[in-house]
Amino acid sequence: MGAALLLMALPFAAPSLVSSLLLVAFVIIGALLASVPLGALLRTLRTVFWVGFIMFFFYLFTTPGEPLVAVGSVAVTWEGLLAGGTQIYRLCLLVVITSLLTFATSPTQLAHGLEAVLGPLARLGLPVREVAMVLTIALRFVPTLFDEVDKIAKAQESRGAGVRSGGPWRRMQGWVPLFVPIFVSAFRRAEALATAMEARGFRGAHHRTRLYRLRLARRDLWATLIVLAVSLAALGLDRFI
Amino acid sequence: MLIRIENLAHTYARGTPLVHDALRGVSLEIAPGERVGIVGRTGSGKSTLVQHLAGLLKPTSGRVLLDGVIAHTRSSAAQRRKLALAFQYPEHQIFEHTVLREVAFGPRHLGLRKDEIAGRVRWALGMVGLDVEEMGERVPFTLSGGEMRRVALASVLAMRPEVLILDEPTAGLDPQGRRELLAQVRRWQEEIGMTLVLVSHDLDELAHVVERVVLLNDGQVAIDGPARQVLSDGPLLRAAGLDVPQPVALLQMLREAGWDVRTDRLLPEEAAEEILRVGGRA
Repeated sequence: MGAALLLMALPFAAPSLVSSLLLVAFVIIGALLASVPLGALLRTLRTVFWVGFIMFFFYLFTTPGEPLVAVGSVAVTWEGLLAGGTQIYRLCLLVVITSLLTFATSPTQLAHGLEAVLGPLARLGLPVREVAMVLTIALRFVPTLFDEVDKIAKAQESRGAGVRSGGPWRRMQGWVPLFVPIFVSAFRRAEALATAMEARGFRGAHHRTRLYRLRLARRDLWATLIVLAVSLAALGLDRFI
Repeated sequence: MLIRIENLAHTYARGTPLVHDALRGVSLEIAPGERVGIVGRTGSGKSTLVQHLAGLLKPTSGRVLLDGVIAHTRSSAAQRRKLALAFQYPEHQIFEHTVLREVAFGPRHLGLRKDEIAGRVRWALGMVGLDVEEMGERVPFTLSGGEMRRVALASVLAMRPEVLILDEPTAGLDPQGRRELLAQVRRWQEEIGMTLVLVSHDLDELAHVVERVVLLNDGQVAIDGPARQVLSDGPLLRAAGLDVPQPVALLQMLREAGWDVRTDRLLPEEAAEEILRVGGRA
């Protein structure tokens, strides 16, 4: 888990293009080791396509420097191209690494890991276990709510809903028939879950034992060390080349 | 409206490990004014089929024609408007702050005049047995479960559909609520003459309402025929994970005991009559 968190932090120390090759290679090896299909990993990039596109566009036109092509007062600069490219690369790597983490780790494991990492904060009186519990529950209900949204949307469509024309105010009103029932049902589910937890004697997350315990094994230490080494190497390459 | 389903297949989550064939090669024709029951065990494809009828899903292959127009396309909007689907637990779709506004939602989207909308709301609430004066201004979320169900069904009826599709309309109601609702459904059909498609796995309930039954098993039509014939076919129903209605079960037991009774009597009254006819004179 520690290794996984460090991995998430890696792209934020985003190094230059030279050391990036090292990182890309590392991610590919990581994906292969975790037997995550590379195609599925790349497909997650689609979600940030437009963000990346717009970012690239801005960098392209707003970075001052040697003009490459100039149309009137607007100029595409060599520096802009480079900066835009770097940003896109950073964005993609960020997405791919986080996707790799979520592909290879179940939500429950993630929440438990988070709980372990934040453990020391519990001494300061922060409800770390409870927060991890809330997180696990929230993650568990994401697909359920998606199903619910789908169902309600169809139900309202069948009653003639679905405003696709008109001004922004009318369009916004079009969302009301969808969101109100979703909120109502989310509250209903939360209440049912709370009752069920109480009925089974749940009293806060104290002294909770687990069926599957996460243990820091030797290979986790190795993984952490390797990630550390790669991070340092990437940063080092950045500094000296 | 004439509904024609041609070799319809639907696959969920194609290209993932969760891939699931919900429908495989279903062909059906539903004529105007018919009362059709769609039955099958959980996961047999009933709900997927009715969503296709309403043009809410895109077929993996095959097609659904509403009066000759392909159902899920943009050009079928006029046809789809004549068709209303109430999902299981329709009260979950309620969102307005008064009963009146909730029921008026559909008609408002049809672009009707104000007085026309008011007329439809009054009519629809009447059809589900709710009084406009008493209930109109109440907040739907404060009503009882049964009342909310009726408000939701009224809001579907207010569309004045030519085809009404109800997916498990009685789920979660108490026995009296079920009986009342079924009686109402039958009355709507008699009064308006619409096509009625009723999804259920409670065959006793269906026997009261429908004249034709389509039995789905594993995404395919196992049999499609008159209710009397399909609902009294024990071996076929059991093979599809269901069982005959109670009156039929009783008659079959009597028959096995040597009584010369007909077993295709679906309703309790019919069964009683049949028993009296054969052995009741004693």
